[in-house]
Amino acid sequence: MDVDPQLQLPFHCVRFVEQRQGGVSQDLLIASAGRKLYSYAADSGRRLAIWPQDANHAEETVKENEAQQDAKDQEPPGKKRKTDTSNSAGGQKPKSLPDWTHIPILTISPTGKYVVALTAEDKCIRVFQIAEDGSLEQLSDRGMPKRPCALAVTGDESTILCADKFGDVYSLPLIPSEKPYVAPKEPRQAKTVQPAASNLTVHSKRNLASLEQQMMLYKQGKWGNSEEKSSLGFEHQLLLGHVSLLTDLAYVSFPDSKRSYILTADRDEHVRVSRGPPQAHVIENYCLGHTSFITRLCIPAWAPQYLVTGGGDNYLLVWNWSEGRVLQKVPLVADNSEIVVRDIWATALQTSPSETSKVILVAIDGSPSLLCFSQEVDGTLKEQGSISVSGNVIDVTPIEKSGTIVIAVDDVHNAGSIQEWRTAPTSQPVLLESFRVKPDAQGLAWEPVTEPLVATINSEGTSQAPTDAESKQRSSFSEALYGLKNLRKMRMGEDD
Amino acid sequence: MSTHPQRRSKRNDYREKAAAAAAASQQSADSSAGDIKLPRKKFYRQRAHANPFSDHQLDYPLSPAHMDWASRYPAYADPNPENVNLGGFRQMLKDVEVVDIGCGFGGLLVALAPLLPETLMVGMEIRVQVLDYVNTRINALRAQQLRLRSATPNNQGTPAPPSSTAAPTPVPTSAPTESNNDEDDDDETALPTTTLPGGYQNISAIRSNTMKFLPNFFGKHQLSKIFICFPDPHFKARKHKQRIVSESLNAEYAYVLRPGGLLYTITDVEEYHHWVLRHFREGDVPEGQEGEGEEEGVVGDVRDLFERVSEEELAKDDCVRVMSMETEESKKVTRNKGNKYVAVFRRKADPEWVV
Repeated sequence: MDVDPQLQLPFHCVRFVEQRQGGVSQDLLIASAGRKLYSYAADSGRRLAIWPQDANHAEETVKENEAQQDAKDQEPPGKKRKTDTSNSAGGQKPKSLPDWTHIPILTISPTGKYVVALTAEDKCIRVFQIAEDGSLEQLSDRGMPKRPCALAVTGDESTILCADKFGDVYSLPLIPSEKPYVAPKEPRQAKTVQPAASNLTVHSKRNLASLEQQMMLYKQGKWGNSEEKSSLGFEHQLLLGHVSLLTDLAYVSFPDSKRSYILTADRDEHVRVSRGPPQAHVIENYCLGHTSFITRLCIPAWAPQYLVTGGGDNYLLVWNWSEGRVLQKVPLVADNSEIVVRDIWATALQTSPSETSKVILVAIDGSPSLLCFSQEVDGTLKEQGSISVSGNVIDVTPIEKSGTIVIAVDDVHNAGSIQEWRTAPTSQPVLLESFRVKPDAQGLAWEPVTEPLVATINSEGTSQAPTDAESKQRSSFSEALYGLKNLRKMRMGEDD
Repeated sequence: MSTHPQRRSKRNDYREKAAAAAAASQQSADSSAGDIKLPRKKFYRQRAHANPFSDHQLDYPLSPAHMDWASRYPAYADPNPENVNLGGFRQMLKDVEVVDIGCGFGGLLVALAPLLPETLMVGMEIRVQVLDYVNTRINALRAQQLRLRSATPNNQGTPAPPSSTAAPTPVPTSAPTESNNDEDDDDETALPTTTLPGGYQNISAIRSNTMKFLPNFFGKHQLSKIFICFPDPHFKARKHKQRIVSESLNAEYAYVLRPGGLLYTITDVEEYHHWVLRHFREGDVPEGQEGEGEEEGVVGDVRDLFERVSEEELAKDDCVRVMSMETEESKKVTRNKGNKYVAVFRRKADPEWVV
């Protein structure tokens, strides 16, 4: 399929996975591009697995439907599930209509045994087990009611935390129990649903008329049959909620005090610090200081008392988050231009057997350079220059033990643009680039390295980007890759 | 939603003039400055609902330390102008500690003002025109009080916090007397004729979407009382997410409310009352069923943070009486012979960490 040099779908997410279990461990690179997940051997770049496998795709969907059917049969009768209809409808559609087009979130569990992925359009959280040979086995798929925006796995690997577009954070067991799920009983109130309004509470002519309608339906027994809430067909708990779109979530636990925290960031500039489950309803603090939406919460593993945040502001903030105190405001651009921080990574790269460089990396949406900072002991960041790559930076994954980072590069759009497509493919598609850190007297320097991992994957490619497709498909593809800008609030005229 | 362009411009004119007059009369306590009038509601009517999820053009402080309170409570501003907060605004001698969420036309604030003369109280309202009314009303009341004070020889018109003014408060209910003229729809046409403790310097109202921005205004445990009076019932089940009482929002109320602080609710919708009880902890959940069966099954419930205040205690609480009788909405319910359901909850101390 890669006879012609063609535009290749960039990797949306890349994750280096260090496999610690077993004697013959093999490190992996797990990545998503388009609607697929890829698993590569980290030393050679050899492709170990693709999910879903195209040939089996149709079959798989059928199987899934059957599984769902089973689950439904085991449920007590009379409980309708709203999600069900939409899911099976998706399955029955012809194969030409894929149920998702991209995989925007990829999280590896702390031990590296599981991959948690989100498939976009069907809002499905899928858990995969990584086999020793690097293949991916899907253990579960759970469709969420609202689009998930961030996923985290707790340190004990028991729980997935999911923050969604509606502002809610749910917890789900990483591995659902074998027992069929029985939804908790409806609140007593809901059993005797009748119109909540009465002629004591509504008075206007129109309201009274519609109340009369409702009472009529009620008397005929037709009132309140509509599903009040679509209960999900799997175990889940609502932990907390914002009245705003959530953009990121971080889970931190302190082994000494045994305390854990959930940090949530929203589109309305808030960072909320809550206690970890089961006390997530106790809000400990807020970190308030951004004037635009927040896209990323980054807590360095080496100093979890600090937090670095970025988003629609042209600066980062460094926090002592337990006190809600800003330690530093870090400008990202010289002028006043509008930018969106795409992502922030904290990594301790090994430079010698005894030394590490503690680095904070920042990607700006639609920019081919990766900004670098070092973090001082007091938490403050020190600028270290930037790394330039051939296309926009999409994602980064560090390989700490070799002191390198692997950057997923957008080879489809022009560097520096989130809309314009390249007219001709680069002679050799570039999906990944890799760099090694070199501490010197002035600070940090980076040297490009061409590892077999990067070379092999670049030469093999992913799958073809929709170059000849009509522009609508193109723009929806661009939108999927660079959607963060839409979080900015539209300042329309005066409202009232 | 509204009406005639002509009527609209008439309303705008009225509102602008009223605001200017109220502000001006506050400047000069001099009684020669003309009559002080309370604004008339009919020029400030607005659709009863606002979508809490949309991006309104709202002003809200970056954080509580960035808020300009001093210009809203000039009598309580730090006399030293050099003492400023992070937003560069004058510091306050004391913090706001009572909030009326969805204050509407401000009836509760006005009635509470002389009752808690030493306590700074703020109303929060998302509807611009209604908010205009409240602040014009408060300015007029303040101006009138200043004038009365300057007329009284032993109190030389100092707008300072009346720390030692009049001992037991005359029951304020009689103060802003009401015209029972239904045509003017319960407008308070008369101003109080005596000086009242606090002189209305302790109340103000701000435009905000509390569902989104409460923590921008108030710090942890800052508040001693929160009032939620006759909230928008959102009858349709699919709109329940827009209710001002929910598990998630209750966690925020618990954050801004100090342990021991009170959260007052009143509604005329029985179903909403039960909703409130279910979401804040309730005695009527049978033993063993507690914490289960709720909506999505919240673990370690937010309801752990609240306990319901007993009827006996409520009977002694003036705030409950004022809330049930003095707000515009409560008067309307009385007129329509509707029911009123009151529930008050006390914020418990944060639970021990579960580790």
